[in-house]
Amino acid sequence: MNKRYLILAILAVAVGAGILFMPETDRDKEMKPEQLLIAIDDPSRFLTTDLITDRLVKNDPSLLLIDVRTAEQFKEFSVPGSVNIPLDSLLTTSSIGIMSNKDIDKVFCSNSELTADQAWILAKRQGIETIFVMQGGVNKWFDDIVKVEEPSPTEPSEAIALYRFRKAASQHFFGTPEIKSVVQPLPKKSVTVHKAPAGATSGGGC
Amino acid sequence: MEHNKRDGSFYINPYLGGVLLGLVLFATYYVTGRGLGASGAVKSTVVTTVHTVAPQHAHNSGYYSQFLSDDISPMSNWLVFEVLGVLAGAFLSGTLYGRLKFKTEHSPKITGRRRLIAAAAGGMLFGIGSQFARGCTSGAALSGMAVLSASGIITMMAIFGSAYLFAWIFKKLWI
Amino acid sequence: MTGPLIPMEIIPEAWNNVIALLLGMGFGFVLEASGFSSSRKIMGTFFGYDFVVLRVFFTAAITAMSGIIYFDFMGWMDASMLYINPYYVTSAIAGGVIMGFGFALGGFCPGTSFCGVAIGKFDAMFFSAGLFLGILLFSEMYPLFAGIYNSENLGDIKIYEMLGMKRNLFAFLLIVAAVGMFYGAAFVEKKVTKVEY
Repeated sequence: MNKRYLILAILAVAVGAGILFMPETDRDKEMKPEQLLIAIDDPSRFLTTDLITDRLVKNDPSLLLIDVRTAEQFKEFSVPGSVNIPLDSLLTTSSIGIMSNKDIDKVFCSNSELTADQAWILAKRQGIETIFVMQGGVNKWFDDIVKVEEPSPTEPSEAIALYRFRKAASQHFFGTPEIKSVVQPLPKKSVTVHKAPAGATSGGGC
Repeated sequence: MEHNKRDGSFYINPYLGGVLLGLVLFATYYVTGRGLGASGAVKSTVVTTVHTVAPQHAHNSGYYSQFLSDDISPMSNWLVFEVLGVLAGAFLSGTLYGRLKFKTEHSPKITGRRRLIAAAAGGMLFGIGSQFARGCTSGAALSGMAVLSASGIITMMAIFGSAYLFAWIFKKLWI
Repeated sequence: MTGPLIPMEIIPEAWNNVIALLLGMGFGFVLEASGFSSSRKIMGTFFGYDFVVLRVFFTAAITAMSGIIYFDFMGWMDASMLYINPYYVTSAIAGGVIMGFGFALGGFCPGTSFCGVAIGKFDAMFFSAGLFLGILLFSEMYPLFAGIYNSENLGDIKIYEMLGMKRNLFAFLLIVAAVGMFYGAAFVEKKVTKVEY
């Protein structure tokens, strides 16, 4: 065999051996504390109950509502369509597997937003993307959607539209025999969509 | 053997070519965070064409609409500029080594016409396949291997594995 | 400077297209100079008379891979920020097989066909036109393929994660395998009768 190529082959294997004996650093996915601080400071992770309800009613496949309360609490009452991952099993391999799909918006919820926000920070630290927190938690959702109160006719039309939306959504989830109406989407004005910034997930390779 | 560099028969050493190509690929990752590509530029062209000819149709389609956004034309895409660069770079090399010539390259056993039909059919299949695999040999396989992505390496094995099989079936086209 | 430069916002986005053009020129030049503008030279890999594709392809892959791993180790580049194509199992394999079929018929892949177009090969032009038609066809028939296209998404998984291996071990084995393949290719090339093209 040609001598020149032998030298090249040895060089390539030496480069490989260098890689082999390189200590594998474990910093790959975890976030630095400074970066995490900036992320925590950003309020755009909070989604309103109405926005989430709107997407739940539409059976949006890109939404995953994750209830981080204990299994008992989840059994007692839960938002229809949510899945239960108790906080203590948030970082198991299977949970991370469920959450690692970047194309799905993962929304955490708990009774208030406290536990959900803890879950958010843990997941963020773990390098999981497109995660959100339901503002006000399950309690607020229950107050808004299930115990929705009719506004007086003198209120602004947005309030009435919001009421109609919530009532219809409530019927969609739990059914009410009295009035039959179609779920109307929220008026555009009151919906603020927080989309994860496009970039890494867009495109299609080559 | 290298005394006549401009008659079109000179090619650089494949290992040198490989290292240079690897450096270009590495530089691409270092600067842009993404790999090289080729079929993506054609996809942009397709999307732009369809969007110009039938905008309504493009917006309703489940596929085109993924690549359309209101403010930027899909044509102003990184890959389109990269492919324009590929054309320029290849032209440069062709000029340098004396390979600029209009011709159809084919096996002596087949006619030029047959070669062109096979080329178009092959291109069509490559187009379809590259959409399934989300990239072609450059975007999925080569760039994927550099970052050790599972999808890149599996796609590479599928391309070369099946190409070996099919190449022997279509042996007459080549030798 | 810690790479990748553009995602880290060290180089402004506006430079994107200029950089694309320059990197593309490098890409095109190396491909053409290595002989990738000739379909019969490319096809030599499959019949054993010219393994230039195998040599260039794997040398490039291990060079870029080693560069990324070393830069990541030195802290000059954050490898976790690099874009990884998501792995949709069936779609990737089906696409690969279809492309292999197209490769055997057409003798080019998209990147090399553009090189052929640049130096005036008619077969490369027909291949590129076919490419356009194929993508158009796929897009028009997308509802038919959407199921396969979107099924079994494993996300941006790496090959060594899938095999449950250490990254560095896998990289080393890949380099050794590539070198072994180069020797095997040289061996086969000697046995097979040369084809003039």
